[in-house]
Amino acid sequence: MGILIDNDTKVLIQGITGKEGQKAAAAMLEYGTRVVGGVRPGKGGETVLGKPVFNSVQEAVDILGGVEVSAIYVPPFAAKSAILEAIENNIPQINVIVERIPIQDTAYCFAAAKGKGIQIIGPASLGYIVPGVGRIGVVGGPKNLTDEIFTPGSIGIISRSGGMTNEVAWQVRRAGMGQSAAVHVGGDLLLGTTYKDLLRLFAKDDSTKAVVIFGEHGGSYEFEIVDMLKNKEFTKPLAVYVGGKFASALPVGMNIGHAGAIVERGRGAAEKEKALADAGVMIAEQYEQLAELVKDYS
Amino acid sequence: MNLYECEGKKLFQKHGIKIPRGLCIHRGEEPVRKYQELGIKEVVAKAQVLSGKRGKNAGIRFCSSEEEVRQAAEELLSVNLRGQYVAAVRIEEKLDIAQEHYVSITYDTSAKAPVLIYSEEGGVDIEEVPRERIKNYELSIKSDRLAVDVPCAQELWNCFLKEDARLAEINPLVKTKDGRWIAADAKVALDDDAWFRHEEWKNFPPRTMLGRLPTKREVEVKKIDEGEAWYRGTAGKYLEMDGDIAILFSGGGASIANMDALEKHGLQAANYTEYSGNPPREKVYALAKIVLSKPGLRGLWIAGGVANFTSVKDTFQGIADALDEIRPAYPIVARRAGPYEKEGLALLKACAKRNNLKMKLFGKEISMSETAKVLTEMVAHSN
Repeated sequence: MGILIDNDTKVLIQGITGKEGQKAAAAMLEYGTRVVGGVRPGKGGETVLGKPVFNSVQEAVDILGGVEVSAIYVPPFAAKSAILEAIENNIPQINVIVERIPIQDTAYCFAAAKGKGIQIIGPASLGYIVPGVGRIGVVGGPKNLTDEIFTPGSIGIISRSGGMTNEVAWQVRRAGMGQSAAVHVGGDLLLGTTYKDLLRLFAKDDSTKAVVIFGEHGGSYEFEIVDMLKNKEFTKPLAVYVGGKFASALPVGMNIGHAGAIVERGRGAAEKEKALADAGVMIAEQYEQLAELVKDYS
Repeated sequence: MNLYECEGKKLFQKHGIKIPRGLCIHRGEEPVRKYQELGIKEVVAKAQVLSGKRGKNAGIRFCSSEEEVRQAAEELLSVNLRGQYVAAVRIEEKLDIAQEHYVSITYDTSAKAPVLIYSEEGGVDIEEVPRERIKNYELSIKSDRLAVDVPCAQELWNCFLKEDARLAEINPLVKTKDGRWIAADAKVALDDDAWFRHEEWKNFPPRTMLGRLPTKREVEVKKIDEGEAWYRGTAGKYLEMDGDIAILFSGGGASIANMDALEKHGLQAANYTEYSGNPPREKVYALAKIVLSKPGLRGLWIAGGVANFTSVKDTFQGIADALDEIRPAYPIVARRAGPYEKEGLALLKACAKRNNLKMKLFGKEISMSETAKVLTEMVAHSN
């Protein structure tokens, strides 16, 4: 069980010939993920780790057929066209690992995917893992370390931070539990897949008994959870850590003007934690408490 | 990067939005000569700061003589408005105001799209205006034509897209008594991630949002992520703070959790720093060297989670290179795990030994937060 992928999910890697792309291909293959090929314009006909490289996504899809996930490993300036290529070829799930994509490019890709039933995870997402089944991207790191941290279990993990996806998963394991899936949603302002989207999947997944979230202050994504809980769309135990309390001591920095204040009116960090707690979410003071909070439900 | 009003207005003008006639007086420039050059009697003198709410904090003066301009410029350049450094003073024509509106474009995280916000009740109190009198229009980023009936909207949209802004705000958008629409103020934030298609951004002088000019170290650290391998790992984040504990965190999320933990244990950070994405040894070395060069440090906390693919060995080698040079006498705590953790921790241990450093090393057997406590105790005992 788990979410997003299964044993047979066919994965394409755009940018497979680059340093990071090759590393990701190796990481996925060694974890048993079915990587079927890659794309790099101008390098069609070559192979990486025995997998065929194609000049375009279309060529790859025509020959391989039924690609279900494309993982994007290209430099930031090439990200928009790579993502659009995957969208145009109707690949249903796209994981964008690329960091520092201009926000305008991200928004454009989201708009292009809208209404096509395409799920984009990221940008700036290291990927996701279903222990014992497979992984997209490099979550967990090399196989031996991944196995120290991840084992099939009942705790779903969602994190805004790539490093903390692993660290929180480790705290869960250290407390004697396993994970049903761990997803790094990405750290950018705009998220292709939000907490809410994933909680819907975890709600339906029988192997998931409880979910923990490593959140960060800023953005309004946590409030979507409150609405969900109120509507009983998610009823499993949920623990959340919201990082970044120290930032309130910094000058009213990163936002100038009033637009941010208007868009996010009444949705500050303190209000976030309170609203979550009022909706029945367990709040962790320190991140390692996430594991303790859900232990009784595993 | 946030722009000063005068910089934002230049962009507005480029895209066809009218701005008041005016010019900027920088430090060392003669205000009266600038006033004469402008050639308008009734002017507004405005402090150039990066935050808003200037009007409510005496950052704006009305002047109608050389003496008044001289005095206003002198005063505005010498104050610090709500912790914001005043970079210059802009003098511009005083407008004959009939109405003040508000219009801005920014990204809305719920809609995952740009949104245009408009109100006919603009001005300094816009945040108090009731929600029903503010209109929100979700914009389609796939279209460069706007179909909303809001003054200056199309021009602002062009500016937002072409200049890669994260925010473009006009408040107030003034309607003059003779019926013209003029942007009386400009708040523009550019998207730093789009730098590779904006050669011209290199011309903007450096700045921070900390109410001061960036320090020498902050400017230096920024350079680490420039050059050919700019996207291979990030090591160019360094924000100087008032405390005395040097910080070398890895990972954005971990750094945020750790800053909270440090504060909880009563220690104050000397800086906020985070490297991530498997930066090469050289980048980490350059970063560590600058972090450790700040005077008055009383401790160093090196902390990160269980890394996915960042090599603990390579990144710690960079830190060890810097420690070999600087050989700090204050306590050091490191907590890290992940690929090549044994090698990484071993080489840091060897570095501590050959330099007689007061260092405690941890792997994933304890949490990052717990090592904040260890450092707190070491710092308390070393005084």
